[in-house]
Amino acid sequence: MTGLADLSLTEAAEAVRTGQATSRELLDACWTNLDKANPTLNATIWLDREGAEAAAKAADQAVADKKPLGKLHGVPMAHKDMYYQAGKLSTAGSALRRDWRPTITCTAVARMAAEGAYVFGGLNMAEFAQNPTGHNKTYGDCHNPWNPPRITGGSSSGSGAAVAARMTYAALGSDTGGSIRLPAAACGVTGIKPTQTRVSRYGAMPLSFTHDNVGPLTRTARDCARIMSVIAGHDPMDPTSAREPVPDYEAALTGDLRGLRIGVPTTFFLDNADAPVLAAMDEALKVLAARGATVTRMPLPLMDAVAAYGGIVSRVEAATIHAQWMRDDPQAYGQHISSRMYPGYAIPAPYYVEALSRRGPILRAFAAEVFSPVDVLVTPTIPTCIPTLAETDIDHGPPGTEYKFLAVSINTRPFNYLGLPAVSMNCGFDPNGCPIGLQIAGRPFAEARILAIADAYQRDTDWHTRRPPVLG
Amino acid sequence: MDGFPQATEAAIARWFGVVPPNDPGRRMAADLVHTIAAFEKLRGTMVFEDEPSSFEAALQATKETAP
Repeated sequence: MTGLADLSLTEAAEAVRTGQATSRELLDACWTNLDKANPTLNATIWLDREGAEAAAKAADQAVADKKPLGKLHGVPMAHKDMYYQAGKLSTAGSALRRDWRPTITCTAVARMAAEGAYVFGGLNMAEFAQNPTGHNKTYGDCHNPWNPPRITGGSSSGSGAAVAARMTYAALGSDTGGSIRLPAAACGVTGIKPTQTRVSRYGAMPLSFTHDNVGPLTRTARDCARIMSVIAGHDPMDPTSAREPVPDYEAALTGDLRGLRIGVPTTFFLDNADAPVLAAMDEALKVLAARGATVTRMPLPLMDAVAAYGGIVSRVEAATIHAQWMRDDPQAYGQHISSRMYPGYAIPAPYYVEALSRRGPILRAFAAEVFSPVDVLVTPTIPTCIPTLAETDIDHGPPGTEYKFLAVSINTRPFNYLGLPAVSMNCGFDPNGCPIGLQIAGRPFAEARILAIADAYQRDTDWHTRRPPVLG
Repeated sequence: MDGFPQATEAAIARWFGVVPPNDPGRRMAADLVHTIAAFEKLRGTMVFEDEPSSFEAALQATKETAP
């Protein structure tokens, strides 16, 4: 069987289940692309080839023995290197944790393992998940598979690059201000930030207790739905995780968008957007409309408050978590990391508590006004064409580089403060050959709906199936 | 500037023992004037009963029902 690495996650799982392919063959297909593309992309921090081969062998034996097989049986994966597996390296992309090995295992990883998946490596990431670009001074910058001098998006940089380059069928990312959706957009894959509290964060490196989310990056919306069906749901180890029942996400992928009401913001999200990005979004809206959706252009309320309050919460929380290292060894961080955390110490506690206190009322008011006339919002994930690593390099760039750096995540951060689910998928390419991401956000716990929209779009388009040039 | 950057750095050093790690850090701390301005615009919107724990209730109150 050829082209195994081009299979989607769900296709790969089906191939193993039906005996069309072995887990070892899937793993070898991933290795082949990894050996070919990773010297250019730098998407990994560590690899466990021996452990993966043993896991593949065990998975294939289970098939031969006709044992019950899980939803992800025999599928090799690698994750952002911040998901703890007891005894295994977990660097968080930082020199400060170069040799650190946790004693616990992340619930999301454990749940996927229980469904038959296994992990073959830790993927490159922004230091402590704190940048939107993919720069990393310790393990090296991660490079875009479509145009290597350009950013991958971050902070789940290796997750986006590795999924796009067919090194893995899926990867966990984390999203505190866009860190799943940005690399999904810049690398041309599909990624979902779930509703706040939807997925357990136990065993995931903390950045912001309030805004952190765990979610997948894959090549298709259906793949995201499969992983969400495994990792979503209450976890006693994470008391903040919701007790909301988990729907059948894959069953919701019907392709039927009749009656769907799409809102396109006329404020905030399109400010300073590049023309190719707007054109791609408009074309995507036509595809969705052809399946029965209606599109309404509308102003959004409360965006000043969302931006102001959302802008300080994670800065304060990250500064608090990192205070000891910021005192003892600030130069261990990249400049773009420590410079962003530093102002967090000057934000008064009453500002922080005000931001937390207003979050609920603002969500209620926002939802009442926005999600009455429409069901979902559609925006560009990144409003500009994908910039280069050099253009956004705070550590080596001129004063003012920080504004270009921060602009990358302008459209994703609001949904972290609001706690809303949002998916990003590829809807075209910019003049530099880099993907353009389309962001779809919905009400709390509307993951099934937004994945269904992404899936319907992918039934009519082929952007998500295209292979980056780095694969030859 | 009215001495805000210097006062900010001094306050951080005093309260947390953290010094400016680099020039971009100094610039971003100085940019907190924009944060102050943004919060000034929002004064009067918070009401006495607002509390952080209301967010989870808001998620439930505004959640998706069957599409």
